[in-house]
Amino acid sequence: MVGELAGNYSTVVLMFGFAVVAMAPALVISRMISPRKKSNPVKFLPMECGQVPTGEGRTHFMMQYYPYILMFVVFDVMAIFLYAWGSSLLEIPKIATLPMMGFLAIMFGAMAFALYQSGRRRIW
Amino acid sequence: MSVIAPNFKLSEFIKSLLDNIFWIILLLVLIGLPAVFIILFVVEMPVINGELLTPFLALTWLADPSRILPVVKAFMGTDLFRVMVFPGFGFAALLAAGTIFVERKMLAKLQLRVGPFYCGKFEGILQLMGDGLKLISKEIIIPAKADKPIFWAAPVLFVAAAAAFVAFIPVAPGWVVADVDLGLLGVFAVIGFFPIITILSAWSANSKFPFIGGIRALFQMVSFEIPLILSLPGVVMLTGSLNLSEIAASQSVFPWIVFLPVGAIVFFITMLAELERIPFDLPEAESEIVAGWLTELSGMMYGLVQLGTYLKLYAFAGLFVVLFLGGWNGPMIVPPFPVELLENGIEMGPITVGPLPGLPLFTQEMLNGTLMFVMKTAGVIFFILLPRGVFPRIRVDMLLNLGWSKLIGLAFVNIFIALGLLYAGVLGPGGLQ
Repeated sequence: MVGELAGNYSTVVLMFGFAVVAMAPALVISRMISPRKKSNPVKFLPMECGQVPTGEGRTHFMMQYYPYILMFVVFDVMAIFLYAWGSSLLEIPKIATLPMMGFLAIMFGAMAFALYQSGRRRIW
Repeated sequence: MSVIAPNFKLSEFIKSLLDNIFWIILLLVLIGLPAVFIILFVVEMPVINGELLTPFLALTWLADPSRILPVVKAFMGTDLFRVMVFPGFGFAALLAAGTIFVERKMLAKLQLRVGPFYCGKFEGILQLMGDGLKLISKEIIIPAKADKPIFWAAPVLFVAAAAAFVAFIPVAPGWVVADVDLGLLGVFAVIGFFPIITILSAWSANSKFPFIGGIRALFQMVSFEIPLILSLPGVVMLTGSLNLSEIAASQSVFPWIVFLPVGAIVFFITMLAELERIPFDLPEAESEIVAGWLTELSGMMYGLVQLGTYLKLYAFAGLFVVLFLGGWNGPMIVPPFPVELLENGIEMGPITVGPLPGLPLFTQEMLNGTLMFVMKTAGVIFFILLPRGVFPRIRVDMLLNLGWSKLIGLAFVNIFIALGLLYAGVLGPGGLQ
């Protein structure tokens, strides 16, 4: 049953919720017993090693390794497919491994090509 | 000579007393009684000594020693106990706290320092408690223009995600919070939350150092997730299951590290990167970007992130033990429960307590399994902590090159080793197992 299958995971959610319920009071208690002084507006500036910060905190930032994020989106999904195959490997006939070899070859080849392209800085 | 209470008036004392009694009774009626009704109505009460556990029996359990152990045992069978205490939050937090202390002490010894020494009589053993008290009494400073709700929620969410990760780790046979068929995929799903929480916290702080640190953390966690995922199909192939308890149980003869050492090494290195530990601690590089994405977190918020980090460390070490080192399997070194105690009860001088029902509170397998698991986990945690005292930090491009070229190549080699072992007949049906 779908409901039972989903119900198995309720303990994970319970654990998540318990951590939230148990840890949020730590922040609340800390806020209650700790001093709060708004003496100086400089105190609430972002930390920049003693300097008064200039410019925006959230700026456009050149992420020099952007292709890796793009590669992650593709290969994360492909890697998860391997688990569907791996967990049923003992039940399927041996000949069914051949298409999977093709899949692995495509995956490996594509990854090598993407890595080669990501090394060529001039093209992106 | 001073008087203790110069303005004491008996009438006001009685009035305050009555006030307090009134409020206690009011709260009891408005909250306590409905709580009892809800528990009786919703929660399934256990049958103990042939009678259903009513509030009267539950509240008078101290008076009847024959009811104490069954009540405790019934409580230990509930999901709530598992989530709160044993394989769940309490156990993991205890191990995490121990890890923090051992790390500080061990790093000090590696670098010929003393480490925590004065807090507590023996070797600074109360240092952690002192640090907790210090953190909880410190002011929480939120930077101006920060996105306040997200900034407040991020540390709590970090701990909660780490706790959800802990939920999947089986500690002893049958002792796991979430015994699910797709446990390994669940672990991957939970690991996927950490980069999001990190980048949310970094972005909401509206400060430059957290922003750079958050982006570094995002890159590192995301790009090492691929080798992490690719290093484990070998174990899944040899086991034929994604259930972590079944994977641990399948290693009763050989731990998989014997056959898949390449996968174990790749998994260990990716584990270090996911945990942001030296040599991969670029997101928190203190000599470059103050404290990375933790820069603006102050007081208890920082404490919560620390707790979450070490919970995550325990969960990863436990995952390594379950997948490669055989989980709870090991030699039976815990002695069995003495039989005469079950039959005759306890005799201490003139006092004789009759045979108590439900006395073996834990089975021998569970105690031994827990001991084995904790010993192996402590060993893995030691090897996770060790590089911090030995290695320098590596550059971002070296990190990404390592993750994408070398570790993924080795992970593919690992898949083919597992396939070869299966098809050569060494393992699997007709093989060693």
